[in-house]
Amino acid sequence: MLEVSGLSVDYILDRGNVRAVDDVSFTAGRGEFLGIVGESGCGKSTLLFAVAQLLAPPATVAAGTVTFEGTNLVGLTDEQLSAMRWRDMSLVMQSAMNALNPVKTIGAQFKDAMRAHGKFTGEEITARSAEVLKMVGIDPVHLRSYPFQLSGGMRQRSMIAMAMLFTPDLVIMDEPTSALDVVAQRSLMVQIKELQQAFGFAVIFVTHDMSLISHFSDRLLVMYAGQVAELGVTKEVFDRPLHPYTQGLLEAFPSIRGPRVPLKGIPGNPPDLSHVPSGCRFRPRCSYAIEKCAELEPDLYPMDGALVRCLRREDGSLAS
Amino acid sequence: MAMPVSGVPATEARAAHAPAAHGLARIGRAVRRNRKATVGGVLLLIFILIALFPGVIAHDSPTQDAYPPQLGVSTAHLLGTNHYGQDLFAQLVYGTRNVLIIAFVVGLATTTIAVLIGVAAAYLGGLADSSLNVVTDVLLVIPIFPLLIVIAAYAQGGTTLVLIAAITVTSWSYTARQLRSQALTLRRRDFLEAARVRGERPLYIILVELIPTMTSLLVAAFLTNALYAVLFASSLQFIGLGDPNTVSWGTTLYWAQNNAALQTGEPLWAIAPGACIAVLGTAFALLNYAFDEIGNPALRPVRKVRRKKGDEPRAGK
Amino acid sequence: MTDELPRADLLRTEHVRRYFKIGNTLSRRTLHAVDDVSFAIGEREIVALAGESGSGKSTIARMLAQVYRPTSGEVYFEGKPLSSMTSRRDRLRYSALVPMVFQDPFSSINPVFRVQHGVLRCLKLHRPSLSAAQRLEEAGRVFEVVGLNPDMLQRFPYELSGGQRQRVGFAQALAMRPKLILADEPVSMLDVSIRIGLLNLMAKLRDEEGVSILYITHDIASARYVADRLIVMYAGHIAETGPIEDVLTHPRHPYTQLLLSAVPDPRAPLSVAAETDRGEPPRVIDPAPGCLFRWRCPLAIDTCAQVTPVLAELRPGHDAACHVAQNSPEEVKAFT
Repeated sequence: MLEVSGLSVDYILDRGNVRAVDDVSFTAGRGEFLGIVGESGCGKSTLLFAVAQLLAPPATVAAGTVTFEGTNLVGLTDEQLSAMRWRDMSLVMQSAMNALNPVKTIGAQFKDAMRAHGKFTGEEITARSAEVLKMVGIDPVHLRSYPFQLSGGMRQRSMIAMAMLFTPDLVIMDEPTSALDVVAQRSLMVQIKELQQAFGFAVIFVTHDMSLISHFSDRLLVMYAGQVAELGVTKEVFDRPLHPYTQGLLEAFPSIRGPRVPLKGIPGNPPDLSHVPSGCRFRPRCSYAIEKCAELEPDLYPMDGALVRCLRREDGSLAS
Repeated sequence: MAMPVSGVPATEARAAHAPAAHGLARIGRAVRRNRKATVGGVLLLIFILIALFPGVIAHDSPTQDAYPPQLGVSTAHLLGTNHYGQDLFAQLVYGTRNVLIIAFVVGLATTTIAVLIGVAAAYLGGLADSSLNVVTDVLLVIPIFPLLIVIAAYAQGGTTLVLIAAITVTSWSYTARQLRSQALTLRRRDFLEAARVRGERPLYIILVELIPTMTSLLVAAFLTNALYAVLFASSLQFIGLGDPNTVSWGTTLYWAQNNAALQTGEPLWAIAPGACIAVLGTAFALLNYAFDEIGNPALRPVRKVRRKKGDEPRAGK
Repeated sequence: MTDELPRADLLRTEHVRRYFKIGNTLSRRTLHAVDDVSFAIGEREIVALAGESGSGKSTIARMLAQVYRPTSGEVYFEGKPLSSMTSRRDRLRYSALVPMVFQDPFSSINPVFRVQHGVLRCLKLHRPSLSAAQRLEEAGRVFEVVGLNPDMLQRFPYELSGGQRQRVGFAQALAMRPKLILADEPVSMLDVSIRIGLLNLMAKLRDEEGVSILYITHDIASARYVADRLIVMYAGHIAETGPIEDVLTHPRHPYTQLLLSAVPDPRAPLSVAAETDRGEPPRVIDPAPGCLFRWRCPLAIDTCAQVTPVLAELRPGHDAACHVAQNSPEEVKAFT
């Protein structure tokens, strides 16, 4: 249903172009939950905006296609996009406080969204607004509330409700749980999963919190320095991480259960995208790097049903 | 709970955080790169040079009525002569010094007073804030120009010093208000709290930790006040409240008006000083816009992305 | 609450409360940010103060840093009450012994100065006997202790990553030769792979420099990784406290159980409890007596609505403020 192929996004800056997203390809099928994880600066938010065609200058799609239900979204005009926006694809932003208008009631904002994408009567709007709020577990009386009157968790839920107004086929979420506390986070995730199972839409969920996504996503895409490092079925990525970065990430999570062991994390920092290291981008931080890792740039290599960008996996010199 | 910085390439994020105060070098680079700043800067530089070396540019004395009156434009007299036979060009050139002195001194004095009062009010809060606000607000509400007229008239013949003092006294309150608002938003920054927790005194925090982070605002305040100083001073001189014997653009205008220059066929006498005021004002205004953009990257003009022909998106792997 | 542990308390709070007046000047409503909190921190230990936002943990940190004064109750440092520290000398000495490290690496360092500025100021203020050259040397030394190259002293903050900036924060604290560092969510804004480095640093400071740390966090897993004892806060009260392994393996307070069930752990199977809980921690304005968790608690009984629970010891060194837990001989499970 969604096919991203060879997508690259550049930031056109004074001192030259910086490639924030480099040749990323993935698919999302109907009803699938795809998680995209990575740290700050890996390009995951830029990727998301590119897929939703919301890039603003100086960012621009440099190459690749985003095929949604047969149409390539790249290069479409705003009018063409708005026909599809919110009805077939909707977006849930990172911080509801920033995305919700603080001087309008929730109901008014839902009305705006509905009016922007179709002709409806007042009753239809109210009925549908109440319906989506109930879907996410909020009492419809809050249609008359202002965002500041709701708690953080409720605000995020109303963002999700707003995204559900037209029951789209694809919902893109950019770290919607980051501003929430642990308990609210968990219940929001469960809510999203329930909605997905009830309505069958696909979800692309961007986050930096790998452990959160582990129980909810079907497939996982790990991004590093603008590239896809690993892509595979979630459970398998967690049980047998193929890319050294994924391994390092998993080992950086202290556990509540089990023995207390000293952890190392991943030494160093993600690279400056305007000066990427030669060869493999992860090489300076990789404990498995060998000589050719500095010379050759690895491609995505299919292995055991997943894709991994690592030379040593390709040549088999890295045992699982 | 806040989020790690993401989405923007690391270098861009870092550039946005780059401090405004570390080095004139950075300001210089920023001026060169921004078109508005370059134009404004060049204009201002020209005026400064003229003010510093008037004799190099104008070969005549501005006050000597040595020439035949009402000459037209010629190579000997670039702007002609006025009713008294004085070379107009020389008048304007020598007058630049007076104007720039007023502009810079008022700009500096106003900004300094405004910073101390506005930022202290914001940082200290409470009773100090309230009392300083009362003073600021009272001065803010009084209409500036009538007040200036009263002060200048009362001072019996406004020398440049009186003009500077009068304009400073009436102008600082607006900037103080502005800077107070800005400082209020900066007040909660963690590094200020960190300074407090490590035991720094409030005066130190205001002077050393807070004000240096507001440099781009201070530069903007300086430029705005300099601009208004030029306009107010020239206006006062124009209506005769300056010292009519000082050589300045405003006084030239005064004499032009007195002699009904526009009606008697000496239009340049009135227009030329006005044009100078306008150009200098533009220079300050351009620099002001530019510093806004330098200080706040969000305001910078975004370069339209140009797709070269043949640059079609290609299908990837 | 008596401290059963034999070592001397470095810092002790007794029935500390902090209320804030809310609304306009005519309103008499008060927000109970911190209510009747008593705990102790010993030498060479890391105590984790965990809770959701609004639980009062940051307010406690601010009180310990003397940013706020307690509305009532007292804080004792090395036996002396904070309220007796009125002279500038006393307060300066205290701020050197109990410094704070802040949450946001991007706003906790002044962007205008080089990174050494803060450290050198700390040294100038609190160790005036050092000469300028000695200060520079000491700055280099503390940088090395926190894992930063002394060359970095000359850099500007924008050249440093988030993790490096947080290390600068710890270096500033260390420069003052502290006894107790108040770390207010020092890793929440850092990427996950960087957090471990900072957590390891905190453990190193405890072990090698003999510094105690009050580690404020909402992330129980990181608390477990680095802390010796845990204090769980809910709506301004302490819900449970004790040695960390004990509290995590035998959580007695229903809220602790709820928290633990909500923590995402890729290595553990998905638990059910937190999914059904839709509640939020209450904003505590003029509360009536009673347990503030009762609306979300499946075990609530009548007493819970009438009497505010107080901390009582359930196991050695392990206290919980819950009527049901205190009156039940075995462990009660509210959430699994």
